[in-house]
Amino acid sequence: MNLLLDVLTTSAILYIVSAGLLLIFGVMKIVNFAHGAFLTVGAYASLVSARLGLPPVAGFAMALLVGAVVGMAIEWLVVRPLYARPLDAILATWGLAIVLGQLITLAFGREVQFVPSPVDGTFAFAGGEYSAYRLLLVGAAVVLGTVLALLLTRTRIGLVTRAVIMNEQLARGLGIHAGLVRFFTFAAGAGIGSLAGALITPLSSVDPNMGVPWLVNAFMLVMVSGVSMASLLVATLVFGAAQVLLSTFVSPILGGLAIAVLAAVTLRIRPKGFARD
Amino acid sequence: MTEPLVIATPPRSGAPLRLPGRALGLFGASIAVALVAPWLLDTYTLNILIRAMFFAMLALTVDVLWGYTGYLTFGQSAFFGAGAYAAGLVFTHLGFDPGHVWLAAGLAVLAAAAIAGLTGWLSFYSGSTPLYASVISLVLPIVMTQLLFSGGTFTGSSSGLTGYTMPDLSLEAWFRIAAGALVLLTAASWLVVRSDGGRLLAAIRDNEMRCAYLGIDTALLKIALLVVTAAIAGAAGFGYASFSGVVAPELAGFVFGTEVIIWVALGGRGTLIGPVIGALLIEWASAYLSGSLPFVWKLFVGIAFVLVIVLLPQGLLPPLLRVFGRAKRADLPALTVTLTEAPLAAHGTDATQPVIELRGVAKHFGSHQVLSGIDFVAHRGELVSLIGPNGAGKTTLMRCMSDGAERSAGTVRIAGHDIRHAPAHACVGFGLGRKFQTATIFETLTVAECLRMARVRIAAPSWWRRSTMLALPPYALEVLRATELDHKLDVQARHLSHGEQQALELAMVLALEPQVVLLDEPTAGLTLEERSRIGRVLVDLAGRFGLCLLLVEHDLDFVREISSRIVVLHQGKLALEGTVQEVVDSELVKTIYAGSGHD
Amino acid sequence: MFKFRSLSMAAVCALLPLSFAALAQGDAPIRIGMPVGLSGANSVVAPSVVQSAQLAVEEINAAGGVLGRKLALEVADDASGAVGAQKAFDALIFQKKVDVLISMETSAARNAGLPIVARGKVPYIYTSFYEGRSCSPWMYVNAWVPEQQVPPIVDHFMRAKNAKTFFLVGSDYSFGRGMLEFTKKYAQGKGATIVGEEYLPMDGSDWTAVISKIRAAKPDALVTSTAGGAPNVTLTKQLRAAGINIPYGNLAVDEGTAKSMGANAQGIYISASYVTGIDSPANKKFLAAMTKKFGADLKTPNDLSVPEYEAVYAYKLAVEKAKGTDPEKVVKALGEVAVDGPRGRIAMTQQRHAPLTMYLAQVQADGSVKVIDSFKDVDAGTQCPAMK
Repeated sequence: MNLLLDVLTTSAILYIVSAGLLLIFGVMKIVNFAHGAFLTVGAYASLVSARLGLPPVAGFAMALLVGAVVGMAIEWLVVRPLYARPLDAILATWGLAIVLGQLITLAFGREVQFVPSPVDGTFAFAGGEYSAYRLLLVGAAVVLGTVLALLLTRTRIGLVTRAVIMNEQLARGLGIHAGLVRFFTFAAGAGIGSLAGALITPLSSVDPNMGVPWLVNAFMLVMVSGVSMASLLVATLVFGAAQVLLSTFVSPILGGLAIAVLAAVTLRIRPKGFARD
Repeated sequence: MTEPLVIATPPRSGAPLRLPGRALGLFGASIAVALVAPWLLDTYTLNILIRAMFFAMLALTVDVLWGYTGYLTFGQSAFFGAGAYAAGLVFTHLGFDPGHVWLAAGLAVLAAAAIAGLTGWLSFYSGSTPLYASVISLVLPIVMTQLLFSGGTFTGSSSGLTGYTMPDLSLEAWFRIAAGALVLLTAASWLVVRSDGGRLLAAIRDNEMRCAYLGIDTALLKIALLVVTAAIAGAAGFGYASFSGVVAPELAGFVFGTEVIIWVALGGRGTLIGPVIGALLIEWASAYLSGSLPFVWKLFVGIAFVLVIVLLPQGLLPPLLRVFGRAKRADLPALTVTLTEAPLAAHGTDATQPVIELRGVAKHFGSHQVLSGIDFVAHRGELVSLIGPNGAGKTTLMRCMSDGAERSAGTVRIAGHDIRHAPAHACVGFGLGRKFQTATIFETLTVAECLRMARVRIAAPSWWRRSTMLALPPYALEVLRATELDHKLDVQARHLSHGEQQALELAMVLALEPQVVLLDEPTAGLTLEERSRIGRVLVDLAGRFGLCLLLVEHDLDFVREISSRIVVLHQGKLALEGTVQEVVDSELVKTIYAGSGHD
Repeated sequence: MFKFRSLSMAAVCALLPLSFAALAQGDAPIRIGMPVGLSGANSVVAPSVVQSAQLAVEEINAAGGVLGRKLALEVADDASGAVGAQKAFDALIFQKKVDVLISMETSAARNAGLPIVARGKVPYIYTSFYEGRSCSPWMYVNAWVPEQQVPPIVDHFMRAKNAKTFFLVGSDYSFGRGMLEFTKKYAQGKGATIVGEEYLPMDGSDWTAVISKIRAAKPDALVTSTAGGAPNVTLTKQLRAAGINIPYGNLAVDEGTAKSMGANAQGIYISASYVTGIDSPANKKFLAAMTKKFGADLKTPNDLSVPEYEAVYAYKLAVEKAKGTDPEKVVKALGEVAVDGPRGRIAMTQQRHAPLTMYLAQVQADGSVKVIDSFKDVDAGTQCPAMK
């Protein structure tokens, strides 16, 4: 039972962290290597909010907002000129991650800091108890996924975005302002990334380099999911389970490798990954 | 008999390697600096520079892979770390003595090469994309660091290995060794990159598909390149570990791999000297500035990196050189090349055997059947035109003929060889040449270099020399002469007109000495004059030289003028086949092209 | 609120004009190099260590310096790891040309720095507790080793808590493995069983799999030895979030970090050579001086920062005894002087290590530390048989 919960919560965390990156990759076909930095920005936003004495929800809201604003600036200044050079876009966003990291260090110092958990203690149920906050994150992942799905399928903005995802040239030809769609998508992806950072921080710690390990895992998951939110769900469940199982039964170090290696192998066998077509 | 075309002054004989005086001067000056510097610099600076020089060797390998071949790699650090750990492990667990130094060095190079072979096999295969190759190069250092972490006390895990006995050389000696190695490595890389073989790297970067259709096994080439650069990186890592006495998992990691990319990008990708200077300068400045301005320095580097990628992708060195008045061509100074005629190899097949044979070839995408039941044969000297409305499957049929992995059913034989599932370059090896609808050439290479690439399969290029002679088969020479490209051998392909580019591509395909040539809409975008010229050329190729030509064409008049046979493709099937007379005036063709209803 | 990470930088900048002034008087300052983990795993405790050093330097300078010369502090970041330490040691020894290195670092950093110390021929006082048996002709240690620190915890668990099975968790490097290796031998020697031993890399922060294993093994007691700051906090956070409340002995946490863990730290057992509650005039004087100098910015003095304070004084005494900063004479003198500090009388006379008074304590709900038992002048054991 514990193992199952470990798998569920780990997958939920991976989903939350990767959702923003997938949104950006799907619409703009660009891999945003600054995603780890957005995670960090969100974590520090929640740190600020905690220091100000605000309730945890304010921290999450702040993270979302700050991330979106930073994302807008980045899209306008850096990402837009590199639309035709995707490999260079990876590098430029990585450079931005370094810049963001240094700015954070200048502002907050480079030592490791901590944010108190909004929910302490365990949740008891038949068969044992489990960390309440981790269980809450499963809920958060479900909410996030549902909200995104609804936004994409039930709203006009979502329809327009999906059109751009499927065929940008055609969408443009139909009068859709693709540039604006990309601008807002990047902001949304950045905001979600920051929110993810704020959500995962109570489980560990905050420091200027915390985003890097998450970046790699999120990147591999996105590669394997193509452009579909649904296949991201499948990917996080399958690979999250693999990570937990390997960590528990073999070694935590090799478990940390699971996602990256499995994703690479999957792509080799089936270049579309988990996407349907 | 055609005379050889002599274009420029005859080549100087006897000089195997002609190096520009500038290069030799730079080489000599660098060696001098390497010898003298230890007497002028203080201990701390020497320390930093020695370490930086080993890093610069790593940066060189990244430049060759990324700047010259177009393979963005985050993982060269993994090979560096492998070499460093080879040294650390041997010296820690086996102790130190001269024999162990050789063992460690050998292990460093072999381990790095083996890992590279595996990585290359994973990354470069038919159908892999540049993004996937970069993804693998990202996963590699992560796997390496995790493996090092899991090594417990054997690899030292998080602390790494320290305090092992090292070669007892003075700081000055180490400086001379490292600097000397760096200068030699840079010189060797420069020689290779400017050589005829080195142009292959640029060709792959410019247009990998064209390389495949010139019979070049690009996957194998890239794997070999990766293995060689990895061995060099491993050797650099070995040197670093032997000098510094500390090996830690960070040396094999992803973050370090991206730092190397930053040095190369800032220095100037594809310039060799740029990355070396970039690595040395940035490492040296970091050591001094990160003490007093720790965050601001790294922030500055990050901002510079982003600016360079967005605004100055070629890096900082080329613009700097231009400022100092040394405006040089981005790649290489032109070399005057002489064309000669190559003797034609005798073909194994005679006129009665088909040069290309299709039996029951079919292709479907999911449930959509594009081609079905194609039976087709062609012989030497035939000029067959393939016509049909758009969507009939003409280009798909061409693909099925030229790439064994394309078709869903049936057999294809080229010059008697069953292509089975062979990739494009193997099909070319059987005797096939393919000319694409859009001019598929190497943009940054000169006309002469493009042609030399086309001869790679027949005349392997030197990896350190630049030849002044280029031998081409007579029909390729004809094409060049007819279009006056023989006077433009030094011009970069991207500066040619559309018609000239098409002619160049044709000449390249002919340079392969193929038995059958597939041409996809050869008249597309040509002027009337160019069209009739190409018509004459094609007729000549079939009639005089006995090549088998297969054309896909829309221009019925052109088809009528030159073809010996016409094949009509309609809705994925061979609808009609026969002489020009039989086909052009048939009801079917009239219906298809006049558009009066579809069957 | 958003503080610029400039405490140490400010110290250096403040002391620089001081040193120039000293130069003007014709007496160059004595430079103390301090490579410390300003970033990375140790960054949580590093500020407190720097503060201790700053207080010691200020006090000594105010009292006339050492042999008439002022002390100057040079801090460098070793990123709590081997590669960073190499850069920091190189910069301090060959660029800033310090006269002595006095610092607390991770074992990874120390091991990487020792060869450079040997090449540079600089005395090095290592002020951090560690796994023992690290020896160099240039190094002295004034903090505890496992022989001094582990027995109180294990003995208490076995006697007072009836623990017969132990689970060990650590960071995967020389300190983590060394401490737990000693613990394993000691506990097994006393008749206990080790039901699990798990390691994570130094920068690892996801203990989910380890916690699942602890739950499955159902041990009577848990003993951990992770790297300095961050791993301690993340492990404790996640342990408590998973509801694990067995007796928990943490071999590597200091009072300051325990305070920052808040309620999660309650119940943790620590064994240390310093706790703020030590009832001695020297300690009270020290605490008053720290509070006066740093006020609201004071980081809790702890078992990693107080030895730094005492080491600076030890160096002062050694230089005075050697009548100069000649490295070899100072190294010899360091083994002969004794400092009366907050921890009592410290003399590094046992094979480059020092006998220490140890305190077994438990963290309370309000973050304070309550002493349960104390052991006077515990032997350091055989650390460096080659050094007499």
